[in-house]
Amino acid sequence: MKAIRVERTGGPEVMHLAELPTPQPKPGEALIRVSIAGVNSIDGNFRDGSFRTLLPFIPGQEGVGVVEVVGSRAKLVKTGDRVAWSGTLGSYSEYVAVPEDRLVPVPNAINDEQATAAMVHGLTAHYLANDAHKLKAGETALVHAAAGGVGLLLVQLAHAIGARVIGTVSSDEKARLAREAGADELIVYTRQDFEPEVQRLTGGKGVDVVYDGVGKATFEKNLNVMRLRGLLVLYGMSSGAVPPVDPAKLSEKGSLYMARTTLAHFTATREELLARTSDLFGMIADGKLKLRIAKKYPLAEAAQAHRDMEAHRLAGKLLLVV
Amino acid sequence: MALTVSLALRFATRKLHRILKARRRIQTSMRAIQVKQPGGPESMELVELPVPEPKASEAVVKLAASGVNFIDVYNREGRYKVALPFVLGQEGAGTVTAVGADVKSVKKGDRVAWASVLGSYAEYAAVPAGRLVPVPAGVTDQQAAAAMLQGMTAHYLSHDTFPLKRGQTALVHAAAGGVGLLLTQMAHNIGARVIATVSTEEKAKLAQEAGADEIILYTQQDFEAETRRLTGGKGVDVVYDSVGKTTFEKGLNVLRPRGMMVLYGGSSGAVPPFDLIALSQKGSLFVTRPTLGHYTLTREELVARSGAVFGMMAAGKLKLRIEHTYPLAEAQRAHGELEGRKTTGKLLLIP
Repeated sequence: MKAIRVERTGGPEVMHLAELPTPQPKPGEALIRVSIAGVNSIDGNFRDGSFRTLLPFIPGQEGVGVVEVVGSRAKLVKTGDRVAWSGTLGSYSEYVAVPEDRLVPVPNAINDEQATAAMVHGLTAHYLANDAHKLKAGETALVHAAAGGVGLLLVQLAHAIGARVIGTVSSDEKARLAREAGADELIVYTRQDFEPEVQRLTGGKGVDVVYDGVGKATFEKNLNVMRLRGLLVLYGMSSGAVPPVDPAKLSEKGSLYMARTTLAHFTATREELLARTSDLFGMIADGKLKLRIAKKYPLAEAAQAHRDMEAHRLAGKLLLVV
Repeated sequence: MALTVSLALRFATRKLHRILKARRRIQTSMRAIQVKQPGGPESMELVELPVPEPKASEAVVKLAASGVNFIDVYNREGRYKVALPFVLGQEGAGTVTAVGADVKSVKKGDRVAWASVLGSYAEYAAVPAGRLVPVPAGVTDQQAAAAMLQGMTAHYLSHDTFPLKRGQTALVHAAAGGVGLLLTQMAHNIGARVIATVSTEEKAKLAQEAGADEIILYTQQDFEAETRRLTGGKGVDVVYDSVGKTTFEKGLNVLRPRGMMVLYGGSSGAVPPFDLIALSQKGSLFVTRPTLGHYTLTREELVARSGAVFGMMAAGKLKLRIEHTYPLAEAQRAHGELEGRKTTGKLLLIP
């Protein structure tokens, strides 16, 4: 089979197309013929070595495809099922073996592109708005990178709940997209300092929750734009890791809460994974959640997809068509 | 003869009463514990000061009891900066004797309590009226003074910072400490399972009486391994930690995924800066570092919270251990015993 292989960690150029043996499903796994693989910032973290895995490896955490064959003891899926997954390395490939309890059925109303985009980004936006902090109507949320992959979905979910959304974006074009998604206020952070601007927009009160996938660049100021007892949810670090935090800061800035979350802990049981995906697929089918596909690339152009992702040029989901 | 003596006695008694009454009426000086230079217990001096006059928004309270707290030690030592000289103490209860021109929420004769306003180690204190809460009939002055800081702290921890629910499991460090014993009772009353850490058998008994389901003697057992065992490897929903430096890291290891670390003190020292990646690796954990001030900021919240605590006490659902009362003049001894960690219950100064 054809797959993208990383033999040593580094920049996008370390990814190249290789001819590899098709994996065999282990007991409890299913072998999937991949139709689309999603591109996520975590793929860049594995590729450049900031997240560790054994070398060589095939990148890619999510995708959609059809079950080719199931391993022994697999009971949840069968050959021919259309399924999606996330959280399994090896998706930048024609075939991938996935533990069957990580596979979710994809309803007919959802196409392959939507299903892929709903996985890491959709599931992340879903747990952020519903579980990391249970957003309520009338609350105010600050969403950083509001036109990013997670951002655009999170803004829609927060807006649908009835929360007021303040989004930060890097350009006017992204501001337009975030506004279409339902953001009430936009801050173009390349022109405006988000700290005084959020203070102004909330009448000095601060926001109930900050959703931050940016990390290092925004951390300190986040602590100054939250209301008393507000929550900072850090779910990524696209600008780099936040340096160690003195807990005394949390009390000084108003008995604040902080969480550092990852998707795996919000889809740990099969029940939770299925409940979350079916909720998302339902919203997509009803037209309540719009997934923006920024660009599709052939599998062989994975390196270019990573370059575009890391330049933050494109708004929405990047996909590899296998 | 007997009649003459009797009359003379009665006359003398009346005269004495008149003098005392007059003194009460016009008492202009009072005894107070003042710090002129920060330092050890000896830096606390018993002095005569003028009875404070209320400013427009203040009330003057004649103290019946003043609570002794670690924050008083920190103020005395100069760890927290206060303009010198100052009268120590941040917690008290008593009766309103005078109110300022703008005060409407309390009146002369009201029984009140307060916390987080300096100056309670004294016979009288002037307190912003907005910080005074009414004390109901079922609660004594001493109980009220004892409940303000620790009772309201236990209340916000269990009801707001992490609103405990029946069936959840909480790990309470220093469960026989001042806040610990109250927090354990509140958690138990909610129907949560309480795993308590204590240092001695005697403290274990106190925590057990307060309603702890499981006790870990951390001087003999590793609380991390023991908590894992007691929760079948699942971990606890919340850790309430006032110990800090020596317990924080292990506390993160005993939380269930998406569990919450509530760090509300640092009796073993301050927790050093920690790497946030630990929170995600250990299960998308939540951390907060709350302080009472942010949970009693508005008058509504202050009155509601103190009222809830007093209500529990009046109903017999929350027992306060007043371990020792000292005359005001013995504040040095009270601090010595508090710092020596010989005490488990509340210490009060009686002016």
